[in-house]
Amino acid sequence: MAQVTAAGEASLPPTFQDVIMNLQRYWASVGCVVLQPYDNEVGAGTNAPATTLRSLGPDTWRTCYVQGCRRPTDGRYGENPNRGQFYYQFQVLIKPSPDNIQDLYLGSLEAIGIDVAAHDVRFVEDDWESPTLGAWGLGWEIWIDGMEVTQFTYFQQVGGFECNPVPVEIAYGLERLTMFVQGVDNMYDIVWARGDDGVVFTYGDVYLENERQYSAYNFEVADTEFLFQEFADREVECLRTLKAGLPLPAYDSVLKCCHAFNLLDARGVISATERMAYILRVRTLAKACCASYMKNVVGVDKDMTELDDLLAEVPDPREKAAEETAPNLVPRHPEPAAPCAGAAAAADHSERAFDFVTIAETTDEEA
Amino acid sequence: MADKKTLAFEIGTEEIPAFDLKRATEQLAELMPAALDAVRIPHGDVAIYTTPRRLIAIVADVAASTEALEEVFRGPAAKIAFDADGNPTKAAIGFARGKGLEVDALERRDENGTEYVYAVRQVAARDVAELLPEVLRGVIDAISWPKSCRWGTTSEMFSRPVRWMVALLGDRVIPVEYAGLVAGNTTRGHRFLAPGPHAVPAADDLVSVVEGAYVVPTQEGREAVIREGVARIEAETGYTAELPPKTLTEVINLSEYPTPMMGAFDEEFLKVPEEIIVDAMLMHQRYFPLYDAQGKLTNKFIIVSNGDPAHEATIVDGNERVVAARLYDAKFFYDEDLKKPLVDFVDRLDEVVFQEALGTMRDKTARVVKLSARITVAAGIEQEAMRDIARAAYLAKADLVTSAVIEFTSVQGIMGSYYATAAGEPERVARAIAEHYMPRFSGDAIPTDIIGQVVALSDKLDTICGLFAVGQSPTGSSDPFALRRAALGVLAILEETGLPISLVETIDGALIIYREAGLEFDNAKVRQEIIDFFITREKVALRDAGVKADTIEAVLACGIEEPVVLARRARALEAARSENPQVFDDLATAFARANNLREIGLGTGYKKAELTEVELSLAEAVAAAETAVAEALADDRYADALVALAGLRAPVDEFFDTTMVMDEDPEVRANRLKLLNRFANTFAHVADFSQMAKK
Repeated sequence: MAQVTAAGEASLPPTFQDVIMNLQRYWASVGCVVLQPYDNEVGAGTNAPATTLRSLGPDTWRTCYVQGCRRPTDGRYGENPNRGQFYYQFQVLIKPSPDNIQDLYLGSLEAIGIDVAAHDVRFVEDDWESPTLGAWGLGWEIWIDGMEVTQFTYFQQVGGFECNPVPVEIAYGLERLTMFVQGVDNMYDIVWARGDDGVVFTYGDVYLENERQYSAYNFEVADTEFLFQEFADREVECLRTLKAGLPLPAYDSVLKCCHAFNLLDARGVISATERMAYILRVRTLAKACCASYMKNVVGVDKDMTELDDLLAEVPDPREKAAEETAPNLVPRHPEPAAPCAGAAAAADHSERAFDFVTIAETTDEEA
Repeated sequence: MADKKTLAFEIGTEEIPAFDLKRATEQLAELMPAALDAVRIPHGDVAIYTTPRRLIAIVADVAASTEALEEVFRGPAAKIAFDADGNPTKAAIGFARGKGLEVDALERRDENGTEYVYAVRQVAARDVAELLPEVLRGVIDAISWPKSCRWGTTSEMFSRPVRWMVALLGDRVIPVEYAGLVAGNTTRGHRFLAPGPHAVPAADDLVSVVEGAYVVPTQEGREAVIREGVARIEAETGYTAELPPKTLTEVINLSEYPTPMMGAFDEEFLKVPEEIIVDAMLMHQRYFPLYDAQGKLTNKFIIVSNGDPAHEATIVDGNERVVAARLYDAKFFYDEDLKKPLVDFVDRLDEVVFQEALGTMRDKTARVVKLSARITVAAGIEQEAMRDIARAAYLAKADLVTSAVIEFTSVQGIMGSYYATAAGEPERVARAIAEHYMPRFSGDAIPTDIIGQVVALSDKLDTICGLFAVGQSPTGSSDPFALRRAALGVLAILEETGLPISLVETIDGALIIYREAGLEFDNAKVRQEIIDFFITREKVALRDAGVKADTIEAVLACGIEEPVVLARRARALEAARSENPQVFDDLATAFARANNLREIGLGTGYKKAELTEVELSLAEAVAAAETAVAEALADDRYADALVALAGLRAPVDEFFDTTMVMDEDPEVRANRLKLLNRFANTFAHVADFSQMAKK
């Protein structure tokens, strides 16, 4: 395996960008398409269309990509060494899952300089579920010497559709992983790049100011009226786009809605009852995109009642008459039935912080 | 059959979750022999070995072939099976087909003078090696998992993907097929220490090959290794480790080759409340905390590694960094939370949904404050405590929106208590905040102080009443809001404190508070459901404590609605019955007789002058008992009421032995029935003794 080594002394641990390049090279050697990061705000690599939508359908698909992830409520103004509102994931999605996927994964750790035999590497049960998106999978979080560095999941269902064949998703937390490899305790101390002349750029050099400014923006500055409007507009746009049979651009609107929701959440302007309703609206859109993808891309046309009902009163944007008389469109969505647990993972993530409360209080069975 | 061999079967998997593995281990011990028995494969003992990456069954003394067998089945009578012309009827044809035989092959045999048709099947001896692939495949399919998945392009479902199988009968490979795999004679070892593949020459070698490849193949074996390591560390440090059963089970099933190691963190973090540190270590990292001789948490902890013991230093160092990061977070959250007084968090509880139809935790807080006030008044609690109860009820849930509790959920209440103390709240208020979740599980202690007891009662009753009101009562095995546990908590607090309040009135109070808040529901129906729910919990608890079902029913039949009263009376009656079984059996029998003869319409006004001597002595005993029972019940001396009733046994037995109640003379009969009515009435407010009569 060709490995990019740190310039200069070979004994220095790999830089942040070495880790990324080595992972890309490694998974490329396994046959993955090396994508570049998706150019829209997402809360997790899973939410990029290369995973969410491409998990559906029978076609073989193999990809890996770096994905910047935004979780506005996790902002700490750059003051917390382990947590920020922006971070990077390295995402691998392979469908069908190969028989030797665990070994391939361990090989990727070797590729970034981790001697797995000299550490305690564990696969610890951690199942992924987003009930409101109709998505779930089984897998593990992977620990190295007690540190969680990767999520590993066999997807079983996405958007209410069985995944067949089964994709495997591997999501590395790049900062955590690099902190481990470099032996640093603060993410801002990660060595991002090291020149031949010894000039070093740290993660802090690159992102600390970013983290401060975005924390301030997310928590204090973002215009909430604008965001509420953006959410509403994007919702309408998503439905219009779906009516035109274009799930891929429609999905962009879902991501925009998610991000607007997450920012509103960080601004603290969404009350408990509203939050349910918003999450449900995002979920309706996300599921509709999956259904539309099944119908228009994969070519499966059964069980589409939900999608058809949703779009029944949406005018077809390709019909001229509809444009001229543009009616005041009110999006339809079912009434909230049960407490929902997040739509796409972005909403999911911030949701968890709240719904644990009822869970912690109520789920333990009698001894 | 002298030719017996060992059967070895291994299902090699990716890492199975700890608790699922524990259950699968138990299942396999039953499934394996059952599967062999089902096809009549003679076999000896079955031993099960499991690790996160494998399930192994070793079966001793498996015969090479099954025994030949003649199977005889009796069918319909011959006269039904054949018509008048001697042709087989549908009955015969159907019977033959059901047994896999031609109708001509049916035999007729005479049995006690009636002729029946018989199907006789010769089952040939079968080669066990040929039967086994299907049998073993069936075992894989029969294991049930709480959650299972598909993988790749296969359609089989298992806990996690199956990656290899070993199946050997002696040294012969049994080619079991599953999910695109065929069983062979190579296994794998510990993922890093001896990955393999390793050849397994014969079935008897499988366990030793696996053991030789750094795998401790049983839960018991791994537990022993872990306990030994823990004991060694305890001896070296003089500290004591805490090994909660749940975490221990996880740790046992999170490794194939466990090695306990000791790590440490910066003592600076010991300033953070101990409970958060323990939560971070136990819940998140599955470490065991170490305590000093005074029971105080130390900065040392035990890691159970699955790695190479030769790399202990590296592994410990990595784990220490993880703990440091977690504790850094915990300290950060704790310090952040302390910047505001606890009371400032209460309003933010409107961000947390309690239950969709019942509003937020802020709404719940308001209700709990009101219900606590009702209980305080009803119980006649002194002024000073009243203020603290109101304050504790108001603050009880505030910590749910503090950063530390959001991050470390198991410390709810405890953190609130720390924050309350830091904000200068009274000590009793702080303690009540920590303790109002108690009892947390069956057998747990109740809150130590009246403040916490009242808030705990209010909190639990609010939850129970609200969820019943919105139709979310527990059903069968489903109790997502743990209402049964909450109800047992309420009962334990009422029982142990003896608080002079009525549960039924408190339930009414909780329902009034919901109605005032605008919730609509059928009050009479919900109220009755809740009372029944509590009575059922109490009955279960009494039965578990050894009180007989008929004792409980006898007490309940008097219209008891208060579980505490039910419990007290049922226990007293049970005690009285077990002390004087004969007395109470006889009394129950007599009461049942009197009860059966009872004609309410006649009333109790017997004519004393017409009584015989025996009748008169009963009448006098009844009169005395009536007074004694009434006095005893008025003073809440239920046991004394029972003693008074016991005094009726001799006269009533005497009465029934010597007196013909249903006398021919209607006057005499009526007089006796009136006396019996009065006798039975004496029991009315104590217990329905007919429930305890032998039937």
